[in-house]
Amino acid sequence: MADEQPTIHSCDDWISITLPDWKAVLAAQAALSANDHWTEIVPGLDSIAIQFDPALFSPDEAASLIADQLDRAVHTTTNLSILTTIPVCYDAKLAPDRDYVARELGIAVEALPSWHASRQQRIAMLGFMPGFAYLESAETCPAIGRLANPRQLVKAGSIGIIGRQSCIYSFDSPGGWPIIGRTPLRLFDPAKSQPALLSAGDTVRFESISKEAFDHWPQEVEE
Amino acid sequence: MSITVLKAGLQTTLQGAPFTGHRYLGMPAAGAADSLSLALANFLVGKSLDAIAIEITITDALFQINEPCSIAVVGAAEHVRINGHAVRQHRTLKVMAGDKIDIGPSRPGCRTYVAISGEINADRLLGGQSTYLAAALGGFRGRALRKDDVISLTPDSPVTDVERITPQNLKLHYSDDLVLRIIRGPEAANTHAGALTDLCLGPYAVGTRANRMGLALEGAPLSASNSTNMPSAAVFPGTIQLPPSGQPYLLGPDAQTTGGYPRIAQVIRADRHLIGQLGSGSRVQFVQTTTERATKIYREKLSLLSSWLGQIKLW
Repeated sequence: MADEQPTIHSCDDWISITLPDWKAVLAAQAALSANDHWTEIVPGLDSIAIQFDPALFSPDEAASLIADQLDRAVHTTTNLSILTTIPVCYDAKLAPDRDYVARELGIAVEALPSWHASRQQRIAMLGFMPGFAYLESAETCPAIGRLANPRQLVKAGSIGIIGRQSCIYSFDSPGGWPIIGRTPLRLFDPAKSQPALLSAGDTVRFESISKEAFDHWPQEVEE
Repeated sequence: MSITVLKAGLQTTLQGAPFTGHRYLGMPAAGAADSLSLALANFLVGKSLDAIAIEITITDALFQINEPCSIAVVGAAEHVRINGHAVRQHRTLKVMAGDKIDIGPSRPGCRTYVAISGEINADRLLGGQSTYLAAALGGFRGRALRKDDVISLTPDSPVTDVERITPQNLKLHYSDDLVLRIIRGPEAANTHAGALTDLCLGPYAVGTRANRMGLALEGAPLSASNSTNMPSAAVFPGTIQLPPSGQPYLLGPDAQTTGGYPRIAQVIRADRHLIGQLGSGSRVQFVQTTTERATKIYREKLSLLSSWLGQIKLW
């Protein structure tokens, strides 16, 4: 068992476990995914939820099976963090809030791409939409307010930032995060065996590309 | 083989089994909002219980059948007519090329399912074919049906010789006043215990923000914590979240996979199909039960249903 006792909460067909940190979440995900007992295994920022078929398991049975599987998790180290480079175009046409974000950060708008690219970020979680990535940077950063009026349409690939946290929109959708650029990469392709480009725990580095490069980005090229 | 949409209504989509095993990638369940009405309809045309069918929401819809087949209608529609003649729900209906099927508005309730003996050619992804509207995936080109759309059926779909009528005791009662049984959510275990108790005090009305993603509930405001610091965590269809406004939000089949609001309650699996019958203006009374009882209720419900439907799963 981990040093810190995890908090377990059982509903009738899912169980939520609070864990000490994101590394513990990833280790738990790896351990639980090795079994086919579970309908869903969903990492949160500091928790993991496991959904099961209540016709097959009672919550108590599921909880004890999960505990057994997590006992083995501490012996599994998952430091296979993948580094993905994400090309981003910071052109004003694709970055409606770059002036606002630069002002909040106290930097010149021209410096925004290099500021953003210099920060290594980790995928904290996928959620909101298929393949939508929440990122977290270890470095400090002033908080940036969300838009007072969320946009009806944020284009797929848009990069939003609210300070240490940023996100990548995977589909056209409504959204309230200030947008500082857009990647031409497709974040979710259900036809692929691994539909999501990014996974929780991955490390991401942004790389500035020109509008020209963005417009002519080859669509089916994998990283 | 095909079916032509003559009138699509407010939101008519192709829905069957939910997507499973991909929530960690952010892929929601989608699938039929009322899994029991879907199962009853599919059984009447000899299909697997979670096969893709047509899900109609609130307003009326009209279809033209282009080849002979069997259909069945189960849901909240106040009437069903074939070429203007009233027919009954809950039975196998043999229809001919050119027949027009008129599905009346939902009254009371919210959704109606039309099952068809032929295999519907819906877009396939991640092991499923249901429509997930927000990302325009699955179903009919990822979107709700429109007038003049042609739903294609696998050409060699056999005309079923199944002829069935749902037993009286298994027919669902559609209502705009529902009771949903809930159990404690993770954040009600300590910080929001009071909110959970208060949630069960009086009925809540479903507000105008009501769709497959979730239902805004209106009633006595619950005491919500001002803190917005809850780290995002998994949510599921049937989770009741408590935003700072104090007005609870009940998640539906298309709900996103994670959320940052306290999860004060969870509608039990056995009652979750009823969420699909809640629409704007419905009233819902929550009643708290325990996880042990919830498991028992679910298994008893499946046991009752399996006497007619065979092995069944609700979601």
